[in-house]
Amino acid sequence: MTEDELLQRLSATLRTEIGPAIEVEYPKTQAFMAAVVTQKLGRQVGLARVHETAEAADFNALVTDLQELTKSSPKLKKLDDAIAAFDGQRSKVELCQVIDALYGERAELGEAQFARLLARIRVCLRSSIDRQMEYAA
Amino acid sequence: MSDLAVAPISSDEIRAYLATQLPDATDLALHDVAQIAVGWSHETWLFNLHYGEGGESHVLGLCLRRDPGNALLRHLSDLGEQFRVLKCLEKTNLPTPKAYWYESDPAILGAPFLVMEKVAGSCPSPWGREGRAFYQGAAERGVLPREFTEALATLHTIDWRAVELDFLGVPASGRGFAEREIAKWRELIATTAHPPEPILTDLIGWLEANIPPTDRVTLVHGAYRTGNLLIDSDRVSAVLDWELQVLGDPMYDVAYVLSDLNREGTHLLSNLVERDAFMRDYEAATGFTIDEDACRYYNALYAMRSVAFWMSASDLYASGRSNDLRLARTAWSVPVVLDRAARDLGY
Repeated sequence: MTEDELLQRLSATLRTEIGPAIEVEYPKTQAFMAAVVTQKLGRQVGLARVHETAEAADFNALVTDLQELTKSSPKLKKLDDAIAAFDGQRSKVELCQVIDALYGERAELGEAQFARLLARIRVCLRSSIDRQMEYAA
Repeated sequence: MSDLAVAPISSDEIRAYLATQLPDATDLALHDVAQIAVGWSHETWLFNLHYGEGGESHVLGLCLRRDPGNALLRHLSDLGEQFRVLKCLEKTNLPTPKAYWYESDPAILGAPFLVMEKVAGSCPSPWGREGRAFYQGAAERGVLPREFTEALATLHTIDWRAVELDFLGVPASGRGFAEREIAKWRELIATTAHPPEPILTDLIGWLEANIPPTDRVTLVHGAYRTGNLLIDSDRVSAVLDWELQVLGDPMYDVAYVLSDLNREGTHLLSNLVERDAFMRDYEAATGFTIDEDACRYYNALYAMRSVAFWMSASDLYASGRSNDLRLARTAWSVPVVLDRAARDLGY
């Protein structure tokens, strides 16, 4: 049995056997809430590998596109450094720094370039949140 | 919450405390004591205090709220502030519980607590089937929807300087109010161990870039909706939940009313009020024009606030400060709010 199957089974037991057998209100509510938590956790664990692969591919494509889109931009220290850091460590922490830098240097970038870069980042963010919603909703 | 950071308290302990506050009273006895679950913040007991004084028998309905030490948002709004706000509001026409006593000394009942009036009425939850049915019926009867709007208008037209609510902090005109709110929720997010969320970073960047300037400052409740109002015979007998109040733009409350966050599948605002009627009656009662652009902005600010709430709540569980699984569940509310925020930002 995989981890996510185990969690889903635990969730089903909590929902159909343990919860209904408890008479006192607070522990009963907690049992049903435990069923919800284990169900969501099970789904998240089950999707983790697929999601990690998809996110890595999205981040790789985003780094390439950001580097391409900023080639002709005026050189801006904070944004360039953030993109370089994101290139080195393709994680959400570095992506947050890119977004921060983008807003921070908006005036220097100009509205058109700011909008272009932000739109490209938002494509990536939409894909990411769609994946998260597969287990969170 | 069930996992008390402090020991449970008994009726005897409450009675002994009340005896110190009512030195001329005799034969004090607590009746109909009930600990109720309201929200995720403070512990709440309701009871009737029976006592004799001056040769007569008296009954005083009371509500005791205690800080369990691990309450959600406790560092943003403590019971001492709630008590002070309620004392200020006693001088206004807004229906609120009379505040009797506040004690910060944990030696008395194990943790800080306040005692206030138990106001007549009930507080149907808009999230449950019975509550939804109640508000649907009240909407058809028509009195409560007007009361809902009138109470908010009363709240927004309180002379907050005259009743000394300026201790809440007066925001600078222009961008001051929104900047302060953003800073407050950013600070709460920073206290959690939640991993960074790029959509949240985008949202905050957008919020900082699009602040609607405002020179109008009123008392703002911060969570004005059904479920936070005590209802008695279709009248608002008390506005409750004084945990998020600030001085700021009244559109912050209006945005909360207008949002579809609290509708539970109906077209009625807060499950109760027709949008057109609310806007018409609110504008007539306050003299303010509802700024729908500002409301859209504050709706986005509520998304940031919700993310901060859920990050803070799930962190209470993850860090072992609470074992309430409702808090663990909120970890998955973060992406739900971020999904909504992204849609509001156009993606």
